[in-house]
Amino acid sequence: MFVVAIAKGRLLELSLELFCKAGIEFADNVLTSRKLIFDAKDGKHRIVLVKPSDVPTYVEYGAADAGIAGLDVLMESRADVVQPLGLKFGYCKIAVAAQKGVTSLGGAELPTVRVATKYPNITMDFFNARGIPVEIIPLNGSIELAPLLGLADRIVDLVESGQTLKENGLEIVEVIAESSARLVVNRASYQIKRTEVLQFIGALQ
Amino acid sequence: MKAYTQIPPGTQILIGHAARRRRVLERALCSVFEGWSYEEIVPPIFDYYDVFIKGMGRGLEEQVYRFIDRDGNILALRPEFTSLVAKTAVTRLASAPKPIRLYYSGEVLRFEKPKGGRQREFAQIGVENLGGGKQADVEILLIAVESLQRLGISEFQINLGSVDFFGGIVDRIDLPEEQISRLKAVINLKDQPGLETLLQSLPLEERRKSILRAIPHLTGGREVLTEARGLIRNERSIQSLDHLEEIYTIFDKLGLARHLTIDLGEVRGFDYYTGILFRAYVPQLGFEVASGGRYDGLPATFGEDLTAVGFSFSLDRLEQIATPQLDVPDSQATEVNGDATGFEQALKLRRAGKAVKLCL
Repeated sequence: MFVVAIAKGRLLELSLELFCKAGIEFADNVLTSRKLIFDAKDGKHRIVLVKPSDVPTYVEYGAADAGIAGLDVLMESRADVVQPLGLKFGYCKIAVAAQKGVTSLGGAELPTVRVATKYPNITMDFFNARGIPVEIIPLNGSIELAPLLGLADRIVDLVESGQTLKENGLEIVEVIAESSARLVVNRASYQIKRTEVLQFIGALQ
Repeated sequence: MKAYTQIPPGTQILIGHAARRRRVLERALCSVFEGWSYEEIVPPIFDYYDVFIKGMGRGLEEQVYRFIDRDGNILALRPEFTSLVAKTAVTRLASAPKPIRLYYSGEVLRFEKPKGGRQREFAQIGVENLGGGKQADVEILLIAVESLQRLGISEFQINLGSVDFFGGIVDRIDLPEEQISRLKAVINLKDQPGLETLLQSLPLEERRKSILRAIPHLTGGREVLTEARGLIRNERSIQSLDHLEEIYTIFDKLGLARHLTIDLGEVRGFDYYTGILFRAYVPQLGFEVASGGRYDGLPATFGEDLTAVGFSFSLDRLEQIATPQLDVPDSQATEVNGDATGFEQALKLRRAGKAVKLCL
Protein backbone atom coordinates (compact mmCIF):
# COMPACT_ATOMS: atom_id res chain seq x y z
CA MET A 1 0.00 0.00 0.00
CA PHE A 2 1.37 3.40 -1.01
CA VAL A 3 0.27 6.03 1.49
CA VAL A 4 -0.03 9.68 0.48
CA ALA A 5 -0.65 12.49 2.99
CA ILE A 6 -2.55 15.53 1.73
CA ALA A 7 -4.11 18.50 3.44
CA LYS A 8 -7.81 19.25 3.05
CA GLY A 9 -8.67 22.22 0.89
CA ARG A 10 -7.63 23.48 -2.50
CA LEU A 11 -4.52 21.27 -2.81
CA LEU A 12 -6.67 18.20 -2.15
CA GLU A 13 -9.17 19.10 -4.86
CA LEU A 14 -6.43 19.64 -7.43
CA SER A 15 -4.54 16.53 -6.35
CA LEU A 16 -7.68 14.41 -6.69
CA GLU A 17 -8.14 15.67 -10.25
CA LEU A 18 -4.57 14.57 -11.04
CA PHE A 19 -5.15 11.17 -9.39
CA CYS A 20 -8.36 10.74 -11.36
CA LYS A 21 -6.55 11.40 -14.64
CA ALA A 22 -3.93 8.84 -13.62
CA GLY A 23 -6.68 6.28 -12.94
CA ILE A 24 -6.42 6.44 -9.14
CA GLU A 25 -10.04 6.68 -8.05
CA PHE A 26 -11.86 6.47 -4.76
CA ALA A 27 -15.26 4.95 -3.93
CA ASP A 28 -15.99 7.58 -1.27
CA ASN A 29 -16.37 11.24 -1.92
CA VAL A 30 -13.09 12.32 -0.38
CA LEU A 31 -14.04 15.99 -0.40
CA THR A 32 -17.25 15.68 1.59
CA SER A 33 -16.72 12.58 3.71
CA ARG A 34 -15.57 13.02 7.31
CA LYS A 35 -13.27 10.03 7.18
CA LEU A 36 -9.52 10.66 7.29
CA ILE A 37 -8.30 7.54 5.46
CA PHE A 38 -9.37 6.57 1.94
CA ASP A 39 -8.31 3.52 -0.05
CA ALA A 40 -8.23 3.78 -3.81
CA LYS A 41 -10.21 1.34 -5.94
CA ASP A 42 -6.96 -0.06 -7.31
CA GLY A 43 -6.13 -1.39 -3.83
CA LYS A 44 -2.63 0.06 -4.11
CA HIS A 45 -2.99 3.67 -3.00
CA ARG A 46 -4.27 5.20 0.19
CA ILE A 47 -4.66 8.86 1.03
CA VAL A 48 -4.71 10.27 4.52
CA LEU A 49 -5.96 13.76 5.31
CA VAL A 50 -3.83 15.81 7.65
CA LYS A 51 -3.22 19.45 8.56
CA PRO A 52 -1.15 21.27 5.89
CA SER A 53 1.79 21.92 8.19
CA ASP A 54 1.78 18.26 9.28
CA VAL A 55 2.34 16.81 5.79
CA PRO A 56 6.18 17.02 6.00
CA THR A 57 6.12 15.37 9.44
CA TYR A 58 4.06 12.36 8.30
CA VAL A 59 6.37 11.91 5.32
CA GLU A 60 9.67 12.46 7.11
CA TYR A 61 8.81 9.80 9.70
CA GLY A 62 7.55 7.41 7.03
CA ALA A 63 3.99 7.25 8.43
CA ALA A 64 3.11 8.27 4.87
CA ASP A 65 5.29 7.29 1.92
CA ALA A 66 4.60 10.52 0.10
CA GLY A 67 2.75 13.78 0.50
CA ILE A 68 1.63 16.85 -1.35
CA ALA A 69 2.49 20.16 0.27
CA GLY A 70 3.25 23.76 -0.60
CA LEU A 71 6.87 24.90 -0.73
CA ASP A 72 6.08 27.34 2.10
CA VAL A 73 5.19 24.47 4.41
CA LEU A 74 8.28 22.50 3.37
CA MET A 75 10.64 25.42 3.91
CA GLU A 76 9.15 26.13 7.29
CA SER A 77 9.28 22.51 8.47
CA ARG A 78 12.92 21.93 7.37
CA ALA A 79 11.94 18.27 7.04
CA ASP A 80 14.46 15.97 5.41
CA VAL A 81 12.31 14.57 2.60
CA VAL A 82 12.96 13.98 -1.08
CA GLN A 83 11.23 16.51 -3.32
CA PRO A 84 11.29 14.94 -6.77
CA LEU A 85 8.45 16.78 -8.47
CA GLY A 86 6.96 20.27 -8.67
CA LEU A 87 3.23 20.26 -9.36
CA LYS A 88 1.64 22.86 -11.52
CA PHE A 89 -0.77 24.27 -8.99
CA GLY A 90 -0.89 26.05 -5.67
CA TYR A 91 1.11 28.99 -6.98
CA CYS A 92 1.73 31.85 -4.54
CA LYS A 93 4.54 33.93 -3.10
CA ILE A 94 6.13 33.97 0.32
CA ALA A 95 6.83 37.66 0.82
CA VAL A 96 7.79 40.36 3.25
CA ALA A 97 5.08 43.02 3.33
CA ALA A 98 4.57 46.31 5.12
CA GLN A 99 2.27 49.31 5.16
CA LYS A 100 1.94 51.10 1.83
CA GLY A 101 4.87 53.37 1.14
CA VAL A 102 7.39 51.29 3.10
CA THR A 103 9.91 49.94 0.62
CA SER A 104 12.76 48.53 2.74
CA LEU A 105 13.15 45.52 4.98
CA GLY A 106 13.85 47.93 7.83
CA GLY A 107 17.45 46.93 8.55
CA ALA A 108 18.79 50.45 8.08
CA GLU A 109 16.17 52.32 10.12
CA LEU A 110 15.21 49.98 12.92
CA PRO A 111 17.52 48.49 15.57
CA THR A 112 15.42 45.31 15.50
CA VAL A 113 12.69 44.64 12.98
CA ARG A 114 9.55 43.19 14.53
CA VAL A 115 8.06 40.69 12.08
CA ALA A 116 4.67 39.06 12.53
CA THR A 117 4.35 35.69 10.80
CA LYS A 118 3.21 32.11 10.92
CA TYR A 119 6.56 31.18 9.31
CA PRO A 120 9.15 31.84 12.06
CA ASN A 121 11.85 29.64 10.47
CA ILE A 122 11.55 31.10 6.98
CA THR A 123 11.54 34.60 8.45
CA MET A 124 14.54 33.97 10.66
CA ASP A 125 16.56 32.42 7.79
CA PHE A 126 15.71 35.26 5.43
CA PHE A 127 16.57 38.13 7.78
CA ASN A 128 19.60 36.35 9.29
CA ALA A 129 21.07 35.88 5.82
CA ARG A 130 20.90 39.65 5.38
CA GLY A 131 22.30 40.42 8.81
CA ILE A 132 19.16 42.17 9.97
CA PRO A 133 18.15 41.57 13.60
CA VAL A 134 14.51 40.49 13.92
CA GLU A 135 12.04 39.82 16.65
CA ILE A 136 9.59 37.19 15.49
CA ILE A 137 6.00 37.76 16.57
CA PRO A 138 4.29 34.43 16.05
CA LEU A 139 0.68 34.65 14.86
CA ASN A 140 -1.63 32.00 13.42
CA GLY A 141 -3.89 34.08 11.20
CA SER A 142 -4.94 37.59 10.12
CA ILE A 143 -1.26 38.48 9.93
CA GLU A 144 -2.17 41.65 7.98
CA LEU A 145 -3.54 43.16 11.17
CA ALA A 146 -0.19 43.28 12.92
CA PRO A 147 1.35 46.36 11.20
CA LEU A 148 -2.00 48.19 11.34
CA LEU A 149 -2.21 47.85 15.10
CA GLY A 150 1.46 48.60 15.65
CA LEU A 151 2.20 45.02 16.74
CA ALA A 152 4.88 44.56 14.05
CA ASP A 153 6.94 46.58 11.55
CA ARG A 154 6.77 43.97 8.79
CA ILE A 155 4.97 40.73 8.09
CA VAL A 156 6.04 37.55 6.29
CA ASP A 157 3.10 35.79 4.73
CA LEU A 158 1.74 33.91 1.72
CA VAL A 159 0.49 36.17 -1.03
CA GLU A 160 -1.76 34.76 -3.74
CA SER A 161 -3.47 37.58 -5.63
CA GLY A 162 -2.34 40.37 -3.32
CA GLN A 163 -5.96 41.40 -2.79
CA THR A 164 -5.94 40.89 0.99
CA LEU A 165 -2.79 42.95 1.33
CA LYS A 166 -4.23 45.73 -0.82
CA GLU A 167 -7.52 45.91 1.06
CA ASN A 168 -5.60 46.31 4.31
CA GLY A 169 -3.29 49.00 3.00
CA LEU A 170 -0.21 46.74 2.75
CA GLU A 171 2.26 46.10 -0.04
CA ILE A 172 4.95 43.55 -0.87
CA VAL A 173 8.45 44.78 0.09
CA GLU A 174 10.39 41.74 -1.13
CA VAL A 175 9.52 38.26 -2.36
CA ILE A 176 11.31 35.53 -0.38
CA ALA A 177 10.31 32.62 -2.62
CA GLU A 178 7.81 31.61 -5.27
CA SER A 179 5.84 28.73 -3.85
CA SER A 180 3.87 25.97 -5.52
CA ALA A 181 2.76 22.47 -4.62
CA ARG A 182 5.42 19.78 -4.38
CA LEU A 183 5.36 16.04 -4.25
CA VAL A 184 7.51 14.89 -1.34
CA VAL A 185 8.67 11.35 -0.63
CA ASN A 186 10.09 9.68 2.45
CA ARG A 187 13.77 8.78 2.04
CA ALA A 188 13.32 5.13 3.00
CA SER A 189 10.21 4.72 0.81
CA TYR A 190 12.15 6.26 -2.06
CA GLN A 191 14.55 3.31 -1.81
CA ILE A 192 12.37 0.48 -0.59
CA LYS A 193 9.25 1.23 -2.68
CA ARG A 194 11.15 2.44 -5.71
CA THR A 195 8.76 1.03 -8.34
CA GLU A 196 5.68 2.47 -6.64
CA VAL A 197 7.37 5.85 -6.21
CA LEU A 198 8.39 6.06 -9.86
CA GLN A 199 4.90 4.98 -10.99
CA PHE A 200 3.33 7.59 -8.76
CA ILE A 201 5.65 10.33 -10.02
CA GLY A 202 4.84 9.26 -13.58
CA ALA A 203 1.12 9.42 -12.85
CA LEU A 204 1.36 12.97 -11.54
CA GLN A 205 3.53 14.30 -14.36
CA MET B 1 15.34 25.21 39.87
CA LYS B 2 13.95 22.20 38.10
CA ALA B 3 12.75 19.22 40.05
CA TYR B 4 15.44 16.53 40.35
CA THR B 5 12.94 14.02 38.98
CA GLN B 6 12.85 15.65 35.57
CA ILE B 7 15.12 14.37 32.85
CA PRO B 8 16.91 16.70 30.43
CA PRO B 9 15.45 16.55 26.89
CA GLY B 10 17.34 14.18 24.64
CA THR B 11 18.23 11.52 27.19
CA GLN B 12 16.62 8.15 27.66
CA ILE B 13 16.69 5.25 30.05
CA LEU B 14 16.47 1.62 28.96
CA ILE B 15 15.09 -0.83 31.50
CA GLY B 16 14.51 -4.60 31.60
CA HIS B 17 13.39 -5.97 28.26
CA ALA B 18 14.46 -2.84 26.35
CA ALA B 19 17.97 -2.98 27.82
CA ARG B 20 18.21 -6.74 27.23
CA ARG B 21 17.14 -6.24 23.63
CA ARG B 22 19.85 -3.64 23.11
CA ARG B 23 22.53 -5.99 24.43
CA VAL B 24 21.26 -8.89 22.31
CA LEU B 25 21.40 -6.70 19.19
CA GLU B 26 24.82 -5.43 20.17
CA ARG B 27 26.20 -8.92 20.73
CA ALA B 28 24.83 -10.17 17.42
CA LEU B 29 26.48 -7.31 15.54
CA CYS B 30 29.76 -7.62 17.44
CA SER B 31 29.94 -11.29 16.53
CA VAL B 32 29.47 -10.41 12.84
CA PHE B 33 32.25 -7.82 13.08
CA GLU B 34 34.54 -10.27 14.86
CA GLY B 35 33.75 -12.81 12.18
CA TRP B 36 35.37 -10.42 9.69
CA SER B 37 38.45 -10.07 11.94
CA TYR B 38 37.59 -6.70 13.45
CA GLU B 39 38.87 -6.03 16.94
CA GLU B 40 37.09 -3.97 19.52
CA ILE B 41 38.27 -0.51 20.47
CA VAL B 42 36.85 1.25 23.53
CA PRO B 43 37.61 4.93 23.01
CA PRO B 44 37.18 7.69 25.60
CA ILE B 45 33.86 9.47 26.01
CA PHE B 46 35.58 12.86 25.59
CA ASP B 47 38.54 14.21 23.68
CA TYR B 48 39.82 17.56 22.43
CA TYR B 49 37.13 19.48 20.58
CA ASP B 50 39.43 19.98 17.56
CA VAL B 51 39.73 16.22 17.03
CA PHE B 52 36.06 16.07 16.08
CA ILE B 53 35.75 19.38 14.27
CA LYS B 54 38.61 18.54 11.90
CA GLY B 55 36.65 15.63 10.55
CA MET B 56 32.98 16.43 10.87
CA GLY B 57 33.28 19.89 9.45
CA ARG B 58 32.25 23.26 10.71
CA GLY B 59 28.58 22.70 9.89
CA LEU B 60 28.31 20.47 12.94
CA GLU B 61 30.07 22.73 15.40
CA GLU B 62 26.87 23.73 17.11
CA GLN B 63 25.88 20.11 17.66
CA VAL B 64 28.89 19.32 19.79
CA TYR B 65 28.65 19.33 23.59
CA ARG B 66 31.82 21.05 24.61
CA PHE B 67 33.36 22.16 27.86
CA ILE B 68 36.55 23.59 29.22
CA ASP B 69 38.78 21.65 31.57
CA ARG B 70 40.76 23.16 34.45
CA ASP B 71 43.79 23.74 32.23
CA GLY B 72 41.70 25.76 29.80
CA ASN B 73 41.58 23.12 27.06
CA ILE B 74 38.40 22.87 25.02
CA LEU B 75 37.06 19.35 25.22
CA ALA B 76 34.02 17.72 23.68
CA LEU B 77 31.80 14.75 24.46
CA ARG B 78 32.20 12.45 21.46
CA PRO B 79 29.64 13.26 18.75
CA GLU B 80 30.87 10.30 16.63
CA PHE B 81 33.50 7.56 16.75
CA THR B 82 35.23 7.78 13.38
CA SER B 83 37.55 10.66 14.29
CA LEU B 84 38.59 8.91 17.51
CA VAL B 85 39.30 5.66 15.72
CA ALA B 86 41.23 7.36 12.91
CA LYS B 87 43.32 9.30 15.41
CA THR B 88 44.13 6.14 17.38
CA ALA B 89 45.03 4.23 14.20
CA VAL B 90 47.65 6.76 13.11
CA THR B 91 49.07 7.35 16.58
CA ARG B 92 48.96 4.37 18.94
CA LEU B 93 48.69 1.87 16.08
CA ALA B 94 51.06 3.62 13.67
CA SER B 95 53.33 0.59 13.36
CA ALA B 96 50.57 -2.04 13.30
CA PRO B 97 50.26 -4.12 10.12
CA LYS B 98 47.69 -2.78 7.69
CA PRO B 99 44.82 -2.91 7.29
CA ILE B 100 43.79 -2.03 10.81
CA ARG B 101 40.29 -3.36 11.48
CA LEU B 102 38.44 -1.94 14.47
CA TYR B 103 34.88 -1.96 15.74
CA TYR B 104 33.21 0.05 18.49
CA SER B 105 29.90 0.24 20.30
CA GLY B 106 28.75 3.02 22.58
CA GLU B 107 26.92 6.27 23.08
CA VAL B 108 27.57 9.50 21.21
CA LEU B 109 26.12 12.92 21.96
CA ARG B 110 24.85 15.56 19.60
CA PHE B 111 22.82 18.60 20.38
CA GLU B 112 20.10 18.09 17.79
CA LYS B 113 16.35 17.71 17.65
CA PRO B 114 15.45 14.22 18.89
CA LYS B 115 13.99 12.56 15.82
CA GLY B 116 13.21 9.14 14.42
CA GLY B 117 13.96 7.32 17.65
CA ARG B 118 17.29 9.05 18.09
CA GLN B 119 17.75 11.16 21.18
CA ARG B 120 20.59 13.61 21.81
CA GLU B 121 22.47 10.76 23.39
CA PHE B 122 22.26 7.76 21.10
CA ALA B 123 23.98 4.44 20.56
CA GLN B 124 26.21 3.74 17.60
CA ILE B 125 27.90 0.50 16.67
CA GLY B 126 30.20 0.28 13.71
CA VAL B 127 33.44 -0.71 12.02
CA GLU B 128 36.40 1.12 10.51
CA ASN B 129 38.94 -0.29 8.07
CA LEU B 130 42.15 1.74 7.88
CA GLY B 131 44.79 1.08 5.26
CA GLY B 132 42.73 -1.51 3.40
CA GLY B 133 42.76 0.27 0.06
CA LYS B 134 39.83 0.55 -2.29
CA GLN B 135 38.72 -3.07 -2.07
CA ALA B 136 37.90 -2.44 1.58
CA ASP B 137 34.75 -0.70 0.31
CA VAL B 138 33.38 -4.09 -0.70
CA GLU B 139 34.38 -5.64 2.62
CA ILE B 140 32.56 -2.90 4.52
CA LEU B 141 29.44 -3.24 2.39
CA LEU B 142 29.42 -7.02 2.82
CA ILE B 143 29.67 -6.60 6.60
CA ALA B 144 26.67 -4.25 6.48
CA VAL B 145 24.73 -6.81 4.45
CA GLU B 146 25.60 -9.70 6.75
CA SER B 147 24.71 -7.62 9.81
CA LEU B 148 21.23 -6.89 8.48
CA GLN B 149 20.75 -10.53 7.53
CA ARG B 150 21.94 -11.67 10.94
CA LEU B 151 19.20 -9.57 12.50
CA GLY B 152 16.66 -11.40 10.33
CA ILE B 153 16.02 -8.44 8.08
CA SER B 154 15.67 -9.92 4.61
CA GLU B 155 14.36 -6.87 2.80
CA PHE B 156 16.71 -3.90 2.84
CA GLN B 157 18.18 -1.45 0.40
CA ILE B 158 21.63 0.06 0.41
CA ASN B 159 21.75 3.42 -1.30
CA LEU B 160 25.25 3.80 -2.73
CA GLY B 161 26.79 6.97 -4.09
CA SER B 162 30.18 8.63 -4.30
CA VAL B 163 31.22 12.15 -3.38
CA ASP B 164 33.70 12.03 -6.27
CA PHE B 165 31.02 11.94 -8.95
CA PHE B 166 29.51 15.27 -7.88
CA GLY B 167 32.94 16.49 -6.77
CA GLY B 168 34.45 15.93 -10.22
CA ILE B 169 31.67 17.97 -11.77
CA VAL B 170 31.91 20.94 -9.41
CA ASP B 171 35.72 20.92 -9.58
CA ARG B 172 35.32 22.32 -13.07
CA ILE B 173 32.75 24.89 -12.12
CA ASP B 174 33.97 28.25 -11.02
CA LEU B 175 31.44 29.24 -8.37
CA PRO B 176 31.73 30.60 -4.83
CA GLU B 177 31.59 28.04 -2.03
CA GLU B 178 28.15 29.28 -0.99
CA GLN B 179 26.62 28.54 -4.39
CA ILE B 180 28.15 25.07 -4.40
CA SER B 181 26.54 24.35 -1.01
CA ARG B 182 23.21 25.52 -2.35
CA LEU B 183 23.59 23.20 -5.33
CA LYS B 184 24.46 20.38 -2.97
CA ALA B 185 21.43 21.12 -0.81
CA VAL B 186 18.89 20.98 -3.65
CA ILE B 187 20.51 17.89 -5.21
CA ASN B 188 20.46 16.21 -1.82
CA LEU B 189 16.66 16.74 -1.70
CA LYS B 190 16.34 15.68 -5.36
CA ASP B 191 14.50 18.96 -5.55
CA GLN B 192 14.00 19.28 -9.29
CA PRO B 193 12.06 22.57 -9.30
CA GLY B 194 14.45 24.09 -6.75
CA LEU B 195 17.44 23.00 -8.84
CA GLU B 196 15.89 24.53 -11.95
CA THR B 197 15.34 27.88 -10.21
CA LEU B 198 18.90 27.86 -8.87
CA LEU B 199 20.43 26.92 -12.25
CA GLN B 200 18.62 29.79 -13.93
CA SER B 201 20.39 32.22 -11.62
CA LEU B 202 23.87 30.71 -12.10
CA PRO B 203 26.32 31.86 -14.79
CA LEU B 204 27.07 28.39 -16.19
CA GLU B 205 27.37 26.93 -19.67
CA GLU B 206 24.28 25.05 -20.84
CA ARG B 207 26.27 21.78 -21.01
CA ARG B 208 27.17 22.04 -17.32
CA LYS B 209 23.62 22.91 -16.39
CA SER B 210 22.29 19.87 -18.20
CA ILE B 211 24.72 17.63 -16.28
CA LEU B 212 23.66 19.11 -12.95
CA ARG B 213 20.01 18.86 -13.95
CA ALA B 214 20.42 15.13 -14.56
CA ILE B 215 22.01 14.24 -11.20
CA PRO B 216 18.82 13.84 -9.11
CA HIS B 217 17.55 11.30 -11.68
CA LEU B 218 20.72 9.24 -11.64
CA THR B 219 19.44 6.65 -9.24
CA GLY B 220 18.62 2.99 -9.87
CA GLY B 221 20.54 -0.06 -11.09
CA ARG B 222 23.57 -0.50 -13.32
CA GLU B 223 21.91 1.47 -16.14
CA VAL B 224 22.46 4.64 -14.08
CA LEU B 225 26.21 4.25 -14.46
CA THR B 226 25.93 3.91 -18.22
CA GLU B 227 23.72 6.97 -18.38
CA ALA B 228 26.14 8.96 -16.22
CA ARG B 229 29.09 8.01 -18.45
CA GLY B 230 27.31 9.64 -21.35
CA LEU B 231 27.18 12.91 -19.44
CA ILE B 232 30.63 13.51 -18.01
CA ARG B 233 34.20 13.71 -19.26
CA ASN B 234 36.23 14.59 -16.18
CA GLU B 235 38.64 12.03 -14.79
CA ARG B 236 37.50 12.15 -11.15
CA SER B 237 33.87 11.45 -11.98
CA ILE B 238 34.81 8.74 -14.46
CA GLN B 239 36.96 6.99 -11.86
CA SER B 240 34.13 7.10 -9.34
CA LEU B 241 31.81 5.48 -11.90
CA ASP B 242 34.41 2.77 -12.63
CA HIS B 243 34.65 2.01 -8.94
CA LEU B 244 30.89 1.92 -8.43
CA GLU B 245 30.62 -0.37 -11.44
CA GLU B 246 33.22 -2.66 -9.92
CA ILE B 247 31.27 -2.84 -6.66
CA TYR B 248 28.01 -3.41 -8.51
CA THR B 249 29.55 -6.24 -10.54
CA ILE B 250 30.82 -7.97 -7.41
CA PHE B 251 27.43 -7.62 -5.74
CA ASP B 252 25.79 -8.99 -8.86
CA LYS B 253 28.05 -12.05 -8.84
CA LEU B 254 27.28 -12.63 -5.17
CA GLY B 255 23.55 -12.45 -5.86
CA LEU B 256 23.22 -9.29 -3.77
CA ALA B 257 22.65 -6.70 -6.49
CA ARG B 258 18.93 -6.47 -5.69
CA HIS B 259 19.87 -4.86 -2.36
CA LEU B 260 21.94 -2.15 -4.02
CA THR B 261 20.66 1.12 -5.45
CA ILE B 262 23.16 3.38 -7.16
CA ASP B 263 22.37 6.98 -6.27
CA LEU B 264 24.69 9.58 -7.77
CA GLY B 265 22.66 12.32 -6.11
CA GLU B 266 23.72 10.99 -2.70
CA VAL B 267 25.88 13.90 -1.56
CA ARG B 268 24.99 14.12 2.13
CA GLY B 269 27.28 13.47 5.03
CA PHE B 270 30.17 14.77 7.06
CA ASP B 271 32.90 16.78 5.35
CA TYR B 272 35.38 13.96 5.89
CA TYR B 273 33.92 11.66 3.22
CA THR B 274 36.09 11.28 0.13
CA GLY B 275 34.78 8.34 -1.89
CA ILE B 276 31.78 6.05 -1.60
CA LEU B 277 28.89 7.00 0.64
CA PHE B 278 26.03 4.74 1.61
CA ARG B 279 22.90 4.48 3.70
CA ALA B 280 20.83 1.41 4.52
CA TYR B 281 17.04 1.45 4.65
CA VAL B 282 14.57 -1.17 5.86
CA PRO B 283 10.81 -1.34 5.15
CA GLN B 284 9.52 -0.58 8.64
CA LEU B 285 11.35 2.67 9.29
CA GLY B 286 11.28 6.08 7.62
CA PHE B 287 14.90 6.84 8.52
CA GLU B 288 18.14 5.08 7.57
CA VAL B 289 19.41 2.46 10.02
CA ALA B 290 23.05 2.57 8.95
CA SER B 291 25.34 4.91 7.10
CA GLY B 292 28.97 5.08 6.16
CA GLY B 293 31.57 5.75 3.54
CA ARG B 294 35.17 6.41 2.66
CA TYR B 295 37.14 9.12 4.45
CA ASP B 296 40.70 8.95 3.15
CA GLY B 297 41.51 12.52 4.12
CA LEU B 298 40.81 12.15 7.82
CA PRO B 299 43.80 10.05 8.97
CA ALA B 300 46.09 12.54 7.19
CA THR B 301 44.80 15.36 9.37
CA PHE B 302 46.18 13.37 12.31
CA GLY B 303 49.55 12.90 10.62
CA GLU B 304 49.49 9.79 8.41
CA ASP B 305 48.08 9.25 4.99
CA LEU B 306 45.93 6.13 5.26
CA THR B 307 42.95 4.93 3.28
CA ALA B 308 39.89 4.60 5.48
CA VAL B 309 36.32 3.35 5.16
CA GLY B 310 33.66 2.45 7.69
CA PHE B 311 30.03 2.50 8.66
CA SER B 312 27.85 2.48 11.73
CA PHE B 313 24.41 1.33 12.77
CA SER B 314 22.07 3.39 14.86
CA LEU B 315 21.10 0.95 17.62
CA ASP B 316 18.19 3.14 18.75
CA ARG B 317 16.69 2.82 15.30
CA LEU B 318 17.34 -0.90 14.94
CA GLU B 319 15.51 -1.37 18.22
CA GLN B 320 12.35 0.02 16.64
CA ILE B 321 12.08 -2.64 13.98
CA ALA B 322 11.26 -6.31 14.26
CA THR B 323 14.33 -8.53 14.33
CA PRO B 324 12.74 -11.98 14.19
CA GLN B 325 16.02 -13.93 14.43
CA LEU B 326 16.87 -12.44 17.78
CA ASP B 327 14.95 -13.83 20.70
CA VAL B 328 15.19 -11.80 23.83
CA PRO B 329 14.29 -14.44 26.43
CA ASP B 330 12.57 -13.51 29.66
CA SER B 331 14.33 -14.46 32.84
CA GLN B 332 13.78 -18.14 33.82
CA ALA B 333 14.84 -18.09 37.42
CA THR B 334 14.01 -20.64 40.11
CA GLU B 335 12.25 -18.95 43.03
CA VAL B 336 13.58 -19.78 46.50
CA ASN B 337 12.66 -18.48 49.94
CA GLY B 338 14.68 -15.68 51.44
CA ASP B 339 15.54 -17.61 54.62
CA ALA B 340 18.49 -19.67 55.90
CA THR B 341 17.59 -22.81 53.94
CA GLY B 342 16.67 -20.68 50.95
CA PHE B 343 20.07 -18.98 50.87
CA GLU B 344 21.78 -22.36 50.96
CA GLN B 345 19.57 -23.63 48.14
CA ALA B 346 20.26 -20.45 46.18
CA LEU B 347 24.02 -20.90 46.46
CA LYS B 348 23.72 -24.49 45.28
CA LEU B 349 21.69 -23.43 42.26
CA ARG B 350 24.12 -20.63 41.47
CA ARG B 351 27.08 -23.02 41.63
CA ALA B 352 25.24 -25.18 39.10
CA GLY B 353 24.94 -22.10 36.89
CA LYS B 354 21.17 -21.74 37.37
CA ALA B 355 19.34 -18.44 37.74
CA VAL B 356 17.67 -17.85 41.08
CA LYS B 357 15.20 -15.35 42.40
CA LEU B 358 14.93 -14.91 46.14
CA CYS B 359 11.40 -14.27 47.41
CA LEU B 360 12.01 -11.42 49.82
